[in-house]
Amino acid sequence: MAHARTDLMQGTLELLILKTLAREAMHGYGIVQRIHETAEDLLKVEDGSLYPALYRMEERGWVTSEWGLSENNRRAKFYKLTRAGRKQLEDECANWERISQAITRILQTA
Amino acid sequence: MKALLARLFKPYKRKEIELEVEEELRFHVEMLRREYIRQGMPPEEAKGATLKRFGDVEQIKYRCVQISRRSHPFMRALKSFLILVSIAGVSVRVLSADISVGRIGEMLIAVAVLSRLLLYVRGLSPSNFLSKNRNTFAADL
Repeated sequence: MAHARTDLMQGTLELLILKTLAREAMHGYGIVQRIHETAEDLLKVEDGSLYPALYRMEERGWVTSEWGLSENNRRAKFYKLTRAGRKQLEDECANWERISQAITRILQTA
Repeated sequence: MKALLARLFKPYKRKEIELEVEEELRFHVEMLRREYIRQGMPPEEAKGATLKRFGDVEQIKYRCVQISRRSHPFMRALKSFLILVSIAGVSVRVLSADISVGRIGEMLIAVAVLSRLLLYVRGLSPSNFLSKNRNTFAADL
C-alpha cells in the first residue's frame, strides 16, 4: 500500500540537510537522495527547494562548498558542514526534541 | 590570509555566478532524469517526472543567484565599507565645530546612503537571464 507523503514543516529542511551532511560531504543530488531513502519516501521534498536552502546555509557559514568530481566523473558542487554548522545541528536537534515532546504531550492529554 | 584575499577578489560577475548555479542545478536534473530512465521510464515520461519533482528550475536558479550575489565576499566588504564611511561622516559632522569641515561629514553620509540605496535597487531588479533563457533546462532535457 502506498503511504501518504507529508509536507515538510517550515524550517525542517535545513535540519535534514545539516543531519545528512554530518556524516560526509555531499552534492545536492546526493543529499536529496539520502533524505528520500532515509525517510522511505514518506516526506514530500521538492528537490529544487534544497538549493536556496543550501545557499542560505552557506551564507550563514553553516556549510562550505567546493567543486569536485561526482561518482560518475562529472563536475559537481560538494557541501561540507563547518564547525558552526555542527553547532547549529546540535541546537536544532535539541529544539526539535523539545517541540516534538510538547506536541506528543498535548496529543496524549487533549 | 592568501586564501581570504583570493576569495575577496574572486571575480564578481553576475554571468559567472549564473553559470555556476546553472551547472549545479543541471547536474541534479540530469542525474534525476537518468535515474528515472534507469528505472524503466520512457525518456519523455522521465523528463516530465524530473521537472515535476525538481520544481520551477528557473525560479530556483534566480533565487540561488540572488543569495549568491548578496553573500559574495566583495559585496559584504563593500557593505561594511559603506557603514564605516557613514560612521566616519556622522562623527566628523557631530564633532566638528568648523562648518566647512562639517560639510565633509555631510558629504560622506550622503555618499554612503546613496551607494547603499543603489545596491538595494540593483538587488531588486530581476536578472536578465530569467526572461531570456526561460525553460532552458526543459528544452535541453
